[in-house]
Amino acid sequence: MAGTVKLEKLGKPGVFINCTTFDDDAKSASADNGIPTLRRVKISSQEFYKLRGKVETVRPLVESVFDDIINALTKPLTPEEANPSQDMVEQEDQVEVSVTAESYPAAAEEFNRIFLENRWGDGLPLVPPTPERVKWMLSGTKRSPDEALGKINPKQGAATIEKIAINAVMAGAKPEYLPVIIAVIEALTDENFDDLHILASAGSFNLLTVVSGPIAEEIGMESGIGFMGHGWRPNNTIGRAIRLSTLNIGQTWPGKNDMALTGRISPHTFFTFCENADFSPWEPYHASRGFKADESCVTVGSVHGESQLNHFYGGMIGTWTAEGVLDRMVEDLVRTDRRGYFMWGTKGVGKYLGSGGGAMNHMIILFPELVVELEKMGFDQKGLQDEIYKRTAIPYDDLTPAERKSIQTAIELGVIPADRKAVFAEALKPGGKVPVLISPENLHFFVAGGAPGCAFSFNYYRIPPYNRTALMTKRITGATLTKAGSA
Amino acid sequence: MSEKVKLEVLNPRGVVEAKQANAPAPRLTDLAGKRVGLYHNGKPGLDNFFTVFEELLKNKYPTVKTNLIRGSFEITDKDAEAWAPQIDTFVYGVGD
Repeated sequence: MAGTVKLEKLGKPGVFINCTTFDDDAKSASADNGIPTLRRVKISSQEFYKLRGKVETVRPLVESVFDDIINALTKPLTPEEANPSQDMVEQEDQVEVSVTAESYPAAAEEFNRIFLENRWGDGLPLVPPTPERVKWMLSGTKRSPDEALGKINPKQGAATIEKIAINAVMAGAKPEYLPVIIAVIEALTDENFDDLHILASAGSFNLLTVVSGPIAEEIGMESGIGFMGHGWRPNNTIGRAIRLSTLNIGQTWPGKNDMALTGRISPHTFFTFCENADFSPWEPYHASRGFKADESCVTVGSVHGESQLNHFYGGMIGTWTAEGVLDRMVEDLVRTDRRGYFMWGTKGVGKYLGSGGGAMNHMIILFPELVVELEKMGFDQKGLQDEIYKRTAIPYDDLTPAERKSIQTAIELGVIPADRKAVFAEALKPGGKVPVLISPENLHFFVAGGAPGCAFSFNYYRIPPYNRTALMTKRITGATLTKAGSA
Repeated sequence: MSEKVKLEVLNPRGVVEAKQANAPAPRLTDLAGKRVGLYHNGKPGLDNFFTVFEELLKNKYPTVKTNLIRGSFEITDKDAEAWAPQIDTFVYGVGD
């Protein structure tokens, strides 16, 4: 929609074609972009998605809307279209809710009914964000309630510390968790982070949050058996506060402007956990991103939706060895990432080269016992990155002509960055071995889980569709109730 | 008689700044002889949609000229500024 508005503002009359499923989204987006009377033509979702595969099957559908499209381009604007009122772009009021009832349970029930009816909740009971409760939540940070971190997509709602605290109360979080939640929202609202894709896309993409450093233990996060499951107030309510903050500050709703077809699995908490610092022989993940090992950080990453987990085994699931787990990772990476070669030779789907497809990032979760074994084999994080990168490279002679061409085009277009061109140019010759990843640094290792544990991974595009990155680490700051994160 | 419970709660919603309401660009009176841009954002099946649309358009307006570009999910500022002088009107297809 933003593109259509851009062209209209350049003086070009146009029409936006959208499917019926996206009609509310398109209508709202036209107002949000400042042309509420922008002309749109709807086509049936049911018919278009089924029939679009061939010219002949889609023909009757195009014929059915052809006159509407021509009219949209040529019929003069009505007075209402030519003079849209400011009311048409007004956003919702900042109303405050007050409930009076015979008892607290009755008042709480009524509060929950109103919030969910307003689409301000996530479907589970909420804790009422009374001024007292929000003040209590804000006691966890030194930061001013009025401080604005940035804006959350798709509606570009302003994320202030106070709004985050209100949503954290509703999620059932405690004040000592607030600095972690704030750091996550700092990442999501960073000018380089693509929050739009994971909050609105039909692809049901999801959000991974990993807390690393001493604050995790200080606030009681669980990193042992069941670390991604239920029962852990810090893990679960930090995740829920992120969910509610994005829902309310960015103003999303399923089927309206959050078009995730299956919903975003783990819908109330996203995927939220911490590294197991006690059992890991390695430095925390954030040290590999330029932060000091003794700092506390959050790492936020977009991940794929329905098929997010690739399992590499371990623990009591079956007999395992570190070499065996490594072999499974290599096999999985080659299988999944080779499928993306065909996209390397395109510019991508967004404004940055290689966006929305092709080369991937992998977020790999290793269990502590495995990491001990990998250490014995001589691997630190960097060594493991290099080993997997080397092992997943595909012999040039095994590549199809189309794959060779795509990689050559990626070199020429600049999809493969300048500092990696020489590696690929050298590999793309008879006898060479062509990597399936742009760089060893596209492998990200987190140590989490108990004993026994298991290894698995998430993946996502190296460059997302709507911004520069979808993987970011932020330092936790401003904490008042913990030693960690207090700077 | 028991005292009633009053619960006052704060608003969790982000403040969204309203944009100035603008009108769309004035329409053309006729497409005959005009340059019609077709924006394809790369989603599956749009090529087939536009193939049929272009055929119907040229049947109705034999002197029309079409200009199809395939770009990113949302047209970039650079592409929009480069494309605008080449077209008189446009159809923006997103496949969603």
